[in-house]
Amino acid sequence: MAQLGSGALVVALALAVYGIVAGVLGARRRIPELVESSIRAVWGVTALILVAVVTLLTAFLTHDFRLEYVYGRSSRDMPIYYVAAAFYGGQEGSLLYWSMIAGILSSLAVYLHRKRDRALIPYVAATVLSVETFLLFMLTVIASPFTLLPMRPDDGQGLNPLLRDVGMILHPPFLLAGFASFTVPFGFAMAAMITGRLGADWIRAIRRWSLVAWGILGVGLLFGAWWAYHVLGWGGYWGWDPVENVALLPWLTGTAFIHSVIVQERRGMLKVWNMALIVATFALSVFGTFTVRSGLISSVHSFALSPIGPWFLGYLAVVVLVSVGLLIYRLPGLQSDRAIESVVSRESGFLLNNLLFTAMAFATFWGTVFPLVTELVRETKLTVGPPFYRQVNGPLLFVMMLLMGVGPLLAWRRSNTGLLLRNLLWPAVAGVASGIVMAVLSGHLIAAASLAVTVFAVGTIVLEYVRGARVRRRTTRESYALAVAMLVRRNGRRYGGYIVHLAVALMAVGIIGSTFFQVERQFTLQPGQSGTIGPYTLTYQRLDNRVNAQGQAVVAVVDIAKNGEPRGTVESKRFFYRNYENQPTAEMGIKTIGIDDIYIVLDQWDENGTASLRAYINPMVSWIWVGGAVYVLGMVTVLWPAPMPARRPVTRPVREAALSEA
Amino acid sequence: MTGGVAAEPAAVGRRAPWLNTKILVAGVVLALAVGFLIYNSMQGTAASYFVTVGELQAQADKVDGTRVRVGGDVVPGSIQMGGPGQPIRFQVTDGTHTMDVVYTEVVPDIFSDHVQVVVEGTFHKGQEFQADTLLTKCPSRFEAAQPTDS
Repeated sequence: MAQLGSGALVVALALAVYGIVAGVLGARRRIPELVESSIRAVWGVTALILVAVVTLLTAFLTHDFRLEYVYGRSSRDMPIYYVAAAFYGGQEGSLLYWSMIAGILSSLAVYLHRKRDRALIPYVAATVLSVETFLLFMLTVIASPFTLLPMRPDDGQGLNPLLRDVGMILHPPFLLAGFASFTVPFGFAMAAMITGRLGADWIRAIRRWSLVAWGILGVGLLFGAWWAYHVLGWGGYWGWDPVENVALLPWLTGTAFIHSVIVQERRGMLKVWNMALIVATFALSVFGTFTVRSGLISSVHSFALSPIGPWFLGYLAVVVLVSVGLLIYRLPGLQSDRAIESVVSRESGFLLNNLLFTAMAFATFWGTVFPLVTELVRETKLTVGPPFYRQVNGPLLFVMMLLMGVGPLLAWRRSNTGLLLRNLLWPAVAGVASGIVMAVLSGHLIAAASLAVTVFAVGTIVLEYVRGARVRRRTTRESYALAVAMLVRRNGRRYGGYIVHLAVALMAVGIIGSTFFQVERQFTLQPGQSGTIGPYTLTYQRLDNRVNAQGQAVVAVVDIAKNGEPRGTVESKRFFYRNYENQPTAEMGIKTIGIDDIYIVLDQWDENGTASLRAYINPMVSWIWVGGAVYVLGMVTVLWPAPMPARRPVTRPVREAALSEA
Repeated sequence: MTGGVAAEPAAVGRRAPWLNTKILVAGVVLALAVGFLIYNSMQGTAASYFVTVGELQAQADKVDGTRVRVGGDVVPGSIQMGGPGQPIRFQVTDGTHTMDVVYTEVVPDIFSDHVQVVVEGTFHKGQEFQADTLLTKCPSRFEAAQPTDS
């Protein structure tokens, strides 16, 4: 079995190297057969990686503990879904998964674009194959998942307790897939720079691919936040840990890119900027993948030093050097077609949006690598904690929300300031009103101001929908509901984008609520005793000890009442898994009542059943998860193919098709 | 950026597109604001020294009263759990120097003898270290130990 898997990877490596040579030679010497051959190499490499993936998955499911990787991460008593999830429980499997996702998406991309973007394709193939070559080299030489043990143990070690959770089944595959999917946009960007075809083609080709990658990465981040919230037990969902930060970085630059790319499509501006952003996003994805594993930056989750760190760092250096070199070489071809005509225009709105996102990305990056920098410069290591990120990113997010409110109403080229202000009147009134109500009710000015800009942003989105629906109704006489539905269907990109904005606003409300109004109390209770936190009474019933095949769980059972009315029971758990007894893990007791999450952590206990519990009231956190669902809805709407006339079988002039797509 | 001429002359005339003064000024203002935000936050309590126990004791006078993060291993047998609701006391060592730590918050999952920890709090010379955060690192790898029999 193991030979099949490692054999497939070795052949894939050879094929990938061949494919690069074939692609480049084929394009330079204009030999279509060679180009075709390099496209097939992409498919072949992907197929071989899939063989390795299936082999490893089979090894897990059949409990083939001869494989060191399987032995170290699974055991016979684990439920089947955790056995399967153990696949990416370590770096070798994660890398294999990364290369699989990159392979599948690249194969799809070269298949779909091989006719229309004929000139770019050989270099796209060569670039994605160069990424695969690096990964396959790692997988065959440095960190093979198919290493055999000298004997066959009867049972495995079991998966790390922290990974035995639904959130952990979902979080890593989405996050890694998000990182990996930026390979395709990177491939097109490199192809555009190598060939010098820097026009609209490559931008149009990668728009959807970068949206897909950005969407998947966002979902991965949300699953990570959700997992942290119900497992890690410090009452929050985002801790500004280096590992979280490096995953956020490509998402931030990716967000900047999907906005600024619109400016290039519509107005032919910001070309250098877009190229730099997409390269940076890919580089940060690679950085994100390896930082976790390299021990370069110390983190709670750091996985100890591993041999792959220096290789990744070297690869990252090559990626950055080659892309920056190409970018400088191609600068003359990347001049803007037009100039920004007015400060009050959609162009400058997008520009400001980009500056804000890159500023956030820079601040987060700076905070993350700061210990390294200070150690080099001052010999002492200085670290920054969550307060730093909050103080820097908080005001930036505030301005961003404001801009999110104004942006959709800005016109291209030049906005009529008077008209703009008139249109912004009602959203602004709504925002200020809700801010005042909030300030009176809570007395918290920062929270009130944050809420005000969020409501303002939602207001302009609603306004956009209403205005769009009205315009449709004037000609079609549809009902309002149908008009809105048709609006979204016809122009999914724009109105789906607004749905994503709405999701951001929902999450903002959740973040405002839980950041400014969290209540925390510590109780030491005997069974039967109660404590109060806010309007809630928590009655500690008993401590259960439950044993199952995987290990045992200590469970505190707590009844919750609000203003004396019983509202149900929660269980806060600590798990002790076999083989990992000194590494307990937990599942928080969380109950959502109205807008509040009652969040209970079982801290310590003794034989008499006395337990110390830490309780939090986390207002509005559930809105973050609702926002996550809306984010996915918005993504799907944006990506859903529009019913375009250009899709009819009749061949229409290219220019017209291109225009209707814009 | 080279001062290339716009391919399609726009209404404002033949100027390099990025030389729009207002935009440029706005960009510079924004960059300065962000720089100030970062600088300002660094000055506050946000930044803390990351030291080993030995380094901390060597610079005791200098860092007295400031926030520090101290990394080290938990001294085996030094953990006094103190029962539910009471502070935990333990010692952290870097191999040669040792320090007493008091901690009252939630104990992290992986907390036992020998574990690598990072404690954070305000350092006061000559007193027990009052930690308000306690981070643990996974002992060695993110997986169980290798089999010892061969």
